[in-house]
Amino acid sequence: MALVEVKDVSKRFGGLTAVSDVDLTVNAGEVHCLIGPNGAGKSTLFKLIVGLYPPTKGSIFFDTVDITAERPYARVQRGMSIKMQAPSVFKELPVRQNIQIALQARFSGAERSTEEDRLLTLLNLAQDAGKLAGALSHGQQQWLEIGMALALQPQLLLLDEPTAGMSPEETFKTGELIKSFNAEGMTVLVVEHDMAFVRQVAQRVTVLHLGKIFARGNLEAILQDDKVAEIYLGKTHAH
Amino acid sequence: MSAELFSLFYQFADVFAFLILSAAGLAIVFGMMGVINMAHGEFIMCGAYVTVGLVNLGVPLVIAQILAALTAGLIGVAVEFLIVRRFYKRPLDSLLATWGLSLIVTQSMLLIVGSAVRGIGTPEGSFAIGGYTFSSYRLVLFGCAVAVLAGLYIVFMKTRFGVIARATMQNAAMAKALGARTGRIYAISFGIGTGLAGLCGALYAPTMTLIPTMGATFVVESFVTVVIGGANVLLGTAPAAVFLAVIRMTLNASYGQIIGQIGMLFAVILIIRVLPEGLSSVLVRRGR
Amino acid sequence: MFKLLDGPQTLGRGKIFWSCFFVVLVCALIYPLFADSYDVGNFSYFLIWIFMALGLCLMWGYGGMLSFGQTFFFGVAGYSYGVLAINMGGGTATIAALVLSVVVAMIAAGILGYFMIWGGISGIFFGIVTLSATLVLAFFLGQTAGPEWHIGTARLNGFNGMKGMDPLAVRDFYIEGSALYYVMIALIVVVYIALRMLVNSGIGNVIVATRENPQRAEMLGYDVRKYQLLTFVIGSGLAGLSGALYTSWGQFITPSSIGLPAAAMPIVWVAFSGRSDLTATLVGSFLLLFGFQTITVYSQQTALVLMGALLLATVMLAPQGFVLGIGKLVVDRWPGRRPRDAGPALADAVRLQSDET
Repeated sequence: MALVEVKDVSKRFGGLTAVSDVDLTVNAGEVHCLIGPNGAGKSTLFKLIVGLYPPTKGSIFFDTVDITAERPYARVQRGMSIKMQAPSVFKELPVRQNIQIALQARFSGAERSTEEDRLLTLLNLAQDAGKLAGALSHGQQQWLEIGMALALQPQLLLLDEPTAGMSPEETFKTGELIKSFNAEGMTVLVVEHDMAFVRQVAQRVTVLHLGKIFARGNLEAILQDDKVAEIYLGKTHAH
Repeated sequence: MSAELFSLFYQFADVFAFLILSAAGLAIVFGMMGVINMAHGEFIMCGAYVTVGLVNLGVPLVIAQILAALTAGLIGVAVEFLIVRRFYKRPLDSLLATWGLSLIVTQSMLLIVGSAVRGIGTPEGSFAIGGYTFSSYRLVLFGCAVAVLAGLYIVFMKTRFGVIARATMQNAAMAKALGARTGRIYAISFGIGTGLAGLCGALYAPTMTLIPTMGATFVVESFVTVVIGGANVLLGTAPAAVFLAVIRMTLNASYGQIIGQIGMLFAVILIIRVLPEGLSSVLVRRGR
Repeated sequence: MFKLLDGPQTLGRGKIFWSCFFVVLVCALIYPLFADSYDVGNFSYFLIWIFMALGLCLMWGYGGMLSFGQTFFFGVAGYSYGVLAINMGGGTATIAALVLSVVVAMIAAGILGYFMIWGGISGIFFGIVTLSATLVLAFFLGQTAGPEWHIGTARLNGFNGMKGMDPLAVRDFYIEGSALYYVMIALIVVVYIALRMLVNSGIGNVIVATRENPQRAEMLGYDVRKYQLLTFVIGSGLAGLSGALYTSWGQFITPSSIGLPAAAMPIVWVAFSGRSDLTATLVGSFLLLFGFQTITVYSQQTALVLMGALLLATVMLAPQGFVLGIGKLVVDRWPGRRPRDAGPALADAVRLQSDET
């Protein structure tokens, strides 16, 4: 069953068409990776799904409801949860309060405290709970933000390059974390550069190139596609 | 008929000149460095006082006005060096600092100079078209406003300084990396901004009563013009002034000054609801 | 309930703080027994302005919205109180006039706030637009000298201002002198406690989150515009409360309490005190008002020059505010009395600030 449907969506900035006539379906329960070389339009498509930009053309459905005109907060209330590319946490607030702000819509009282502690432990941030979020390392901030996204217990988790700036171990742990949440039924859409990470988590892959869908299918099929290797994977292996 | 048309143009020119002259300096400082200079009105006041002081000493009006603008510009460079320079990364703090400065200057002037100074009177000269009489000086002001716009266009589009300044506006870090001395660019731009404020005061000095708090008369107009114009001085300020002048002129003519000003403010509040980034954002988008 | 009072958003926690709080409160309560009625009246006068400062602290320090329009809503409510009290007659109706005039200010804040916040205005422009509105209101009221400017039987009177309204009263008992003083103290305690609870609540969490990073807050499912509007309406409503109390206290109001330099005063109080904490704002504003009032007796201009110098000095030397800075020093140096979580957080806060400057 399709959880997200992007239908015939285009986005133009002035004369530049960043995303052109894109159709994309994310099925409930899968980990779907959106890949492509720089400038392929991945981040723009991500922002269109999140609601940061209105599309120039086309419509977007979530759980069969047309959400094209909805603002991000309304989409989040429907069951999406988002982690943007650059770590964006509440820098001058303590780590624990960051988590609280994410949790308070769903939990209150003692239940919230328990959930806070559970998440902080899961994210390896328990001993830093009193620190200001801005004082954490880059990788820790990424984790904190993933934690805030998870705290909403979303149907769909949207991650834009979640492992940017992480060490290979941290990246691997993030992958395992995503897989464990997926195993509990969460649908995940990831924009990612790191092919090792994509191999680790992806069940289905969509390749964007120059703003258009270039290829799509399950992971193995995409990895064996010569044309994909030519535009994207080849370059990745090169460096 | 042509007399009525000219009368309409005259009214428009009057408001337009006021908006451009009072806003140009503020707009440059804001456009260049994202700083709102809350002491803008005090630089206008400075220009007016210097002009009147010099004229009372026997200096011819035009020369007094030029000297007044230069004085305000030099003081501006000093203020940039002593205060504003520290706050380029904190635009809100620079606003507060200049507001503090504005309070100090206005109230000290009230203490030192007292409330009223002998004015110099509007330069004589009027002409009649049809049944209407017009003051020549108002047209001179309009001419000056157009000259200021033309001057800014030439400075920012045709000179080496302008190229570097625009580069700094776009991306200060990059311009610096490419060798532009951004500190000096900022100081000069701030000086140009306050010099234009001084010019505004110098030009309007003959037409109004001089009081230390006179800066406040100009700040609303300059603020709203900059708010509507957006961050791009060259593209935003003039269209914003045209737009506001038309609204202001229409309302002034039918309902008087108060409603004119209130109406202008309402227009601004409505505009920011529709175009939060100001007119220049639309014009820039179109231009691409 | 107690958790809300003593939560993470406010400095000054634990037994020592609340002991000090009660000592100050008791001193304030017995003060009229030892002072003559003129001094008590003066004291009430500068307590009037505290609400406005607390409102700005909420908007600016917690919500990140720097409103220069506190005197706009002060004026709206002040004039509304005058119009209502004159038209509804004195006596108990003045209480209704007080409440209604604050409501009018809040409605005005709702309308202005809607256009600004839904228009995406923030940062510097938020200040500029609110200040423009304030100056235009002052200019407009200054032009209303003619007899045609009246609402009911209330004349606006241009620069000379509106006068002749009754002060607050219950039936034929005028609330003035010590009675007014006690009303002020009670109101300040209620407002202070209520604001502490607000900022430490879930709503307060979202308000500070919006200040820190509005996009992130929205991505957590909060319609940040509604929270900003709420903050703006409450903060401006408090300015309205100051305005209505002011008109009732002196039985007059003029446009000069709206325009410049009046509009700059709340900014000076809150910036000097430390915008990010309610207690610092309360204490600092009170000290500044006290000092300002003392100097104004000799020369108002000198007092205003000093205010300008204080604002400049605050921004240049202690951007987070002097009173807050001193308060933090005291908490940091306090031997062995550090709450477990707040200690490192506070140290970090200080470090981050010094990194910034």
